[in-house]
Amino acid sequence: MPWLLAAELRKIVRPLVWGTALAIVAFCLLITWGAAHNAHAGLASPRIPDVCARAATAQCRQVIAHSHAAARAAALATSKLTQPGEVGQVAAGMLASLPGLLLISMIAGGHWGGEWGSRTIRQLLCREGRRGRVLLAKWLSTWIAGVATLAACYLVLAVAAPLIAASAGLPAAHSGLFAGLGSSVADAGRAAVVLGLFAAVGTAAGTIGRGQLATMAITAGSMLLALLVAGIASIGRLSPASFVQAWMGFGPVGYLPTNFWSRFISSGQNLGQLAGLIGIAATAAVAVGIARWRFAADVTA
Amino acid sequence: MPLPSRGGSPANRCLLSLSGMNVISCARLTKRFGGTVAVSELDLEVGRGQVYGFLGPNGAGKTTTIRMLLGLIGPTSGQIRLLGRPMPDPQAVRLTGSMIEEPAFYPWLTGSQNLQVSTWSGGARGGREVSRVLNATGLSEVADRKVRTYSQGMRQRLGLAVAMLGRPPLMIIDEPTNGLDPPGIREIRGLLGELASDGTTVFMSSHLLAEVEQVCDRVAVIVRGRLVEEGPPARLGTARRRVRVRVAETDAESAFRLLSRWALQAGSRTRDGEFVVEHDSGRDVNAALAAGGVIAESVTVELPRLEDRFMEIVGEDAHAVAAGG
Repeated sequence: MPWLLAAELRKIVRPLVWGTALAIVAFCLLITWGAAHNAHAGLASPRIPDVCARAATAQCRQVIAHSHAAARAAALATSKLTQPGEVGQVAAGMLASLPGLLLISMIAGGHWGGEWGSRTIRQLLCREGRRGRVLLAKWLSTWIAGVATLAACYLVLAVAAPLIAASAGLPAAHSGLFAGLGSSVADAGRAAVVLGLFAAVGTAAGTIGRGQLATMAITAGSMLLALLVAGIASIGRLSPASFVQAWMGFGPVGYLPTNFWSRFISSGQNLGQLAGLIGIAATAAVAVGIARWRFAADVTA
Repeated sequence: MPLPSRGGSPANRCLLSLSGMNVISCARLTKRFGGTVAVSELDLEVGRGQVYGFLGPNGAGKTTTIRMLLGLIGPTSGQIRLLGRPMPDPQAVRLTGSMIEEPAFYPWLTGSQNLQVSTWSGGARGGREVSRVLNATGLSEVADRKVRTYSQGMRQRLGLAVAMLGRPPLMIIDEPTNGLDPPGIREIRGLLGELASDGTTVFMSSHLLAEVEQVCDRVAVIVRGRLVEEGPPARLGTARRRVRVRVAETDAESAFRLLSRWALQAGSRTRDGEFVVEHDSGRDVNAALAAGGVIAESVTVELPRLEDRFMEIVGEDAHAVAAGG
């Protein structure tokens, strides 16, 4: 198994995966840059009702003071979130939500579905005929690529985010360099579990789609469908997207979003973190079952 | 009986070679795809150390059979034993070097890296083994080039190199000389000969019948999923040896009369004094002519080519004779 995994990791280092991982990191940087500048703009010109802009009543003065305080608090929160210790929450949240799903879909498509498209699957199975091991190696290598991207994203943000915040003119956060590191590490750990779920879905999708594009589409499509279902009040709690939401503890986001997930789930699904984890494990188990069943069929590529 | 691991010790390999078993054994092997029967009741026995040719027109079921042998698809009914083990058996497949149709590789990796990945996928470290097969297939100089820059001939060699990794006791290869130029074909022929002399059993399908005739000890012909002929290439089919006789034009009529006791083949030309007689012995033909007072200018015994015998066997499917199937 270690050699098989080594082979899979050697294969996964390919332009498609590099390119997608770099795009995800660049997206995180852009989001941070945009958030920092939006927060600064909000600080410079807080939202004041038109009526108060012209009238200088005591009530309006109170509203204006409140708006300034809110803008300053939002800017400070954004500044705090861009600190090296805290910014891991952004990286973890991104990789455990739609950007991470996109990344895993691309990897699963190229790395697993592509084995059928390029007909290398038959060579692979002639070298290692234990199909369960092949599935395990594919899942592990896809997951490792996802976690490596998460780590890279965190590292890049840890260096770049404070500079972006400073260049945007955000107020100093006055927190230690590594304050909030615990939260970041905890979020990263939880995100690794979600990446494991995405990788399991991608591995199952490969055995169904048996081609690069089909695997990408099935991986992304199935989770997007879950996200839609999560918004339905009657059954939303049973959607894998709700499990992810509960496990990650995604909530409302500020200028700097810590996920691209919760905003798509319109109704709140109040699951606990443990229920979320159990749901994720159950969903992954279903994906594994489907993968094993589908992969036992003839390979005619 | 324990099987040797890939690249196993000589003792282990010896253990395998001493067994005297059939390396490939199929009994009543059948594969249906829906209502279509791809392979029907196929019985095959391939002994150790043989170079075994597997022939058939397009769509005859050759590749389907090879895929079943390698466990890529399951038979609808029947049994397969590979290296003495009932299939499906991943370990037996791992000990079998294989190349199916056009070999496929990871284009973003070099030739050497592709071999390394294949070695690792098989659970071995590789290293020297990669260098050995690169040398054996003449790819050492291009080993560090990305595979996407390889010509078809290079890819074919790389496919063979992958199949040779770990010195497998059995190699199952589909069209090994596809895309190779004549010197390349000659090299591969030599390579297969070397493998066979080392005790490696080679099971190959090919549409280059002249190559098969030169390389293979035994040949099986499959048509529409059924085995129709099996045996050494020289004994395949019913086509007989032929004797080509040339006589002086003035003796042509007499020669025709004397030779008509044997089946004269189409193409015999009384006018030119050239006759083709279906008979094993040139001596008999010459003696008959001499007894009738005709002295032949030349008497040549011709062995029918495998291609002729193959065309005779596949009959109405002959139009489809080509690669693949």
